[in-house]
Amino acid sequence: MFKSMLEAFLNLFKPLHTGGYPAKEIVLPDGYRGLIEYDGEACIYCDKCEKVCPPGAILFYQQENGEKKYRYNPWLCIYCGECVRACPKPQEALWQSETKQQPALKEEGVNEQWFVWEAACQNSREAYTTAKKAAKTGTNEK
Amino acid sequence: MKKTVQIPLGSQHISLLEPIRFKFECENEKIIGVDADVGFVHRGVELACTRKFEFKQVGYVVARVCGLCAITHSLSYTLAVEKLLGYEANDRIKYLRMLMVELDRIHSHMLCLAHTAENAGFEALFMQIMAQREPVMDIQEAISGNRVQFDYISIGGVNRDLTPDLSALIHKNLAALSEKVDALMMLFDTNWSLSLKYKGIGVLSLENAYTYNALGPLARAAGLASDVRSESSDLPYEAVGYTMVLESSGDIHARNFVRLREIVNSIAMCRNIVDNLPVGEIQEKVKGKPKGEAVVRVEAPRGELFYLVRGSGQNILERVRIKTPTFSGIPAMMEVFKGSQYADAPAILASFDPCMSCTAK
Ligand code: SF4
Ligand code: SF4
Repeated sequence: MFKSMLEAFLNLFKPLHTGGYPAKEIVLPDGYRGLIEYDGEACIYCDKCEKVCPPGAILFYQQENGEKKYRYNPWLCIYCGECVRACPKPQEALWQSETKQQPALKEEGVNEQWFVWEAACQNSREAYTTAKKAAKTGTNEK
Repeated sequence: MKKTVQIPLGSQHISLLEPIRFKFECENEKIIGVDADVGFVHRGVELACTRKFEFKQVGYVVARVCGLCAITHSLSYTLAVEKLLGYEANDRIKYLRMLMVELDRIHSHMLCLAHTAENAGFEALFMQIMAQREPVMDIQEAISGNRVQFDYISIGGVNRDLTPDLSALIHKNLAALSEKVDALMMLFDTNWSLSLKYKGIGVLSLENAYTYNALGPLARAAGLASDVRSESSDLPYEAVGYTMVLESSGDIHARNFVRLREIVNSIAMCRNIVDNLPVGEIQEKVKGKPKGEAVVRVEAPRGELFYLVRGSGQNILERVRIKTPTFSGIPAMMEVFKGSQYADAPAILASFDPCMSCTAK
């Protein structure tokens, strides 16, 4: 017991275990799994990343002219890296950075906006396929 | 006149913040009857696994069942699916998986020791153990890229390899930890005020451990030799130096000692794994869709974790059943409470290391 009392006294002079956050930045280790980054130039729009993503954080919006628009939800993402492993052009079209995502603010309306976008993507696909089908049957009839 | 008083511990009660309720029937200070109730929270993980997610994604879903043993959940699920796909991982993958599971066991046991100390009224020791636990979390973060949700295991392998830098870090942190664990063992064994709270309190006899199907450290502290690591051949534990840790007295002190000695054993295993890592690929292609039924047991820090996975050759599974160690251990826990003092109840509960996040899935 005297030993532990001595220890308790000595502990007063030992360096701190805690890090001093938020005054001091947290040091992230090398290879920290951070945000997913994307380059539309290199992407071949195969949709593989969208299909494998467990929470559905990557969505493509189908435009009428056949092009697709990429959108990524950094708050929904679990940073698992499945999309990068599935991508046929990893490190060029899609890669994982070491930046940490900041918490979302209420004003940003993260969820609401994403739900709108999700619905829009769904609708855009359906509209596109029906339009395509219609065009096909149209040409067949001619 | 009624002689007993009913005192609840838990759900929405100040001394237990988690969604479980124990109702004690007390005669003066002595507990004579216990009633337990879980199921205040239901997250619907099992159903989500069979409706919304494809089998390749479910590994990441079940990892979210529990924050402490996330890796054990994803490992059990992955092993079950790999069985259905008729794939067996190479040795390097198995070793890396074991490394993560053992690191997880170290930090989970330390958390439990810290909580037991806290609930016995030794707040400073709680802080100290939590601080010593941090380097283990650092190792896991460096290996997997995240502190809590490792997302390290995927079907057909692991997601990252071990670099020489990482091996050096593991050795450095484990060496520091191993000294601290020795000091802790000393402290837990000889500190007088801790012994008042631990020795001879919350005793589970070997007979009761057997009857009520205790598992994990709770069973091993009572002398019941039950450990999935020695019973199943899914992972080559024998090869990396696993030894079964047994105590005989069955009280809180014995449970603490099972945990401390298991930490020592796990540190030795981690060192072995890092030094003798076989060569091979870390990720292999696995083709096909799961068809049939597979059962996998893995020793989580708290005891046996059980997974049943049934698939019908589709992308979406038919059934995923998860039986978590805390849930299976509740009958034995209730038995331990009987006959002890009400004031000891928090310390006894902490020494079970209950994981409510697992139980309320
Ligand atoms: S890292 Fe995982 S969660 Fe995030 S976008 Fe990629 S697949 Fe989806
Ligand atoms: S997987 Fe890669 S190439 Fe394919 S759509 Fe996604 S980013 Fe583009």
